[in-house]
Amino acid sequence: MSANSGRTLTVSGHDLAKNGSSNTGAPWEDAGTVLKPTTPTRKPQPPKPQNAITIAVSSRVLFNMEKEQQIFERQGMEEYIKYQVAHETEPFSPGPAFSFVKALEAVNTQLRELYPESEELFDVVLITNNHANVGLRLINTINHYQLFIERFCMTGGNSPIGYLKAYHTNLYLSADPDKVHEALEAGIAAATMFTPDKMTEVSETQLRVAFDGDAVLFSDESEQIYKAHGLDKFFEHEKAHENRPLDHGPLKGFLEVLGKLQKKFYAKGRRMDCPIRTYLVTARSAASSGTRALKTLRSWGLEIDEALFLAGAPKGPMLEKIRPHIFFDDQMFHVEGAAEMGTVACHVPYGIAQRAARKGGKDKETSPVVK
Amino acid sequence: MDNMVSVVLNTDVKQKDADSAVVVAVTSRALFEQGPEDDETGVWKLSRAFPLLQAVQKVNDCLLEKNPAESLLLDVILITTDSQHQQLSSVLISSTRHHGLGVGKFFFSSEETFIDCLLENNVQLFLSTSKDEVLMASQKGVPSALLEARKNDSSVQCQREDLRVWLHEDLISPCDSASQPSSRHSPQRFLAQLGEIRQRFGVSDSPLWISLVILHGGRENCGNRLKALRSLGVSVDDVYCLAGAPSDPLLSLLQPHFRFNCSFVN
Repeated sequence: MSANSGRTLTVSGHDLAKNGSSNTGAPWEDAGTVLKPTTPTRKPQPPKPQNAITIAVSSRVLFNMEKEQQIFERQGMEEYIKYQVAHETEPFSPGPAFSFVKALEAVNTQLRELYPESEELFDVVLITNNHANVGLRLINTINHYQLFIERFCMTGGNSPIGYLKAYHTNLYLSADPDKVHEALEAGIAAATMFTPDKMTEVSETQLRVAFDGDAVLFSDESEQIYKAHGLDKFFEHEKAHENRPLDHGPLKGFLEVLGKLQKKFYAKGRRMDCPIRTYLVTARSAASSGTRALKTLRSWGLEIDEALFLAGAPKGPMLEKIRPHIFFDDQMFHVEGAAEMGTVACHVPYGIAQRAARKGGKDKETSPVVK
Repeated sequence: MDNMVSVVLNTDVKQKDADSAVVVAVTSRALFEQGPEDDETGVWKLSRAFPLLQAVQKVNDCLLEKNPAESLLLDVILITTDSQHQQLSSVLISSTRHHGLGVGKFFFSSEETFIDCLLENNVQLFLSTSKDEVLMASQKGVPSALLEARKNDSSVQCQREDLRVWLHEDLISPCDSASQPSSRHSPQRFLAQLGEIRQRFGVSDSPLWISLVILHGGRENCGNRLKALRSLGVSVDDVYCLAGAPSDPLLSLLQPHFRFNCSFVN
């Protein structure tokens, strides 16, 4: 069985799997064999939810379940479950969120070294509406890659939104745009994650997160002007309101928690080689509209390590240079462009860009829900 | 005389097969509200256990729909656990019949006699709203659980909902302490039967939902529980591994009818 026929997966996954684990050789290549017996991992306790930064991922972004998804779509739920149970001891291959999760763990390791008593850590939680029968295969796979995921909810078909809220989720990543939309409506930072055509190699020691500006970190108020009155009016408006901070967008809170952790590293002298690095990758221009963006961040007391003003140029090549573990944008055009060049890109379905997309009759990317 | 237990059959209800049915005992205090009878009808108002009875009825109806000759059904009996209610047999019977509850039998017992009554009558699950009663019955080897207060508790208008069972391990419960070896089989037997009922239905069309909640310990623990339950024939629908996170939010989301301790399952 090849879950990844035709895909040139990941040199990075390979390297990441090497880090701290005993798998050499791409695990998915021998998916036909039974996985090795689980060895107990180093077992620090998971932090209490109220202290931690909770990142919820769905099963389909953490692992590659394409083949199984197809079975579900073509043959229905019962066959899907039968298949999963029959292959229970075969680990899934890594999905697009895998390298991001490994990077979060790397940050945790370094935080624990510097602040052994602190519970201000990332807590990765698996939240899926998969049926519990798939549970053992998911658990076996987590064991196989020695991921530190001790909390999960497999809701058996019910919407995961209630659980996200109940457990103070800071960020939710899923392959299902409907769920992501629901989460955003409920006030939870969320994004739809896509699998890139190829995976570029990413750092194993430094977490890199890239954000678009408008309708991601900031509200979509300026984008509305651009859509209604065009680019010139947009520049004019931004210049005129340069000193008025923009309203915040859905991912502002996540940038905030990253900043908090960064300060903890700075306090221990880790400014130059901080294990967390953040990027703003925006179509705004440095000459005009960029100022308002930077001033807004400053007014929020937030820092961003690198601000890249592309003045409308495509984002893909720039991201390819940066190599973030994850990139958030509200426009599918940019998300697709990034994915084409190997960046794990996520769509934040927020703001005016979504209404425009729907009106244009663009094909909505529906990843069917696994019930 | 007060120590006698009387058993009364409910003639409104078809009796279940004694060998195959799963006997579930519910206390009268859990089913009926304290206080005076309703003026007009002379019967008692319904209380916390009503949604459970409705859900059980739904499960039975669905089972019979699939197979009219089905004998693996849930058999609900009503039991009194204090002498006051023990004396009020006629009101209890008439209230039960008035509300059309599918109660098969009545056991009129007192504080002293109810546990023996449970043991002698092959009760596989005892449900009460009293923590003390649940504790005492568990200690004597009767699988027991507390009936949960649920959001839509105002009874009569209740939609017929699915029966929602939450399985967890409660390592603090005395159920774990050494009780008679034979009684240790009972919780497993109940679970096995529950599992068998669940198997009568498919993934999506079941009137019975079984959730597994792992309160402490991580995924290793969770994996072991799933396997242990599976070997008993219990296939759970959803699973939550909390690793020490508070369980109250989950409780409000899942709204189980009762929470059952399955920590003895190895």
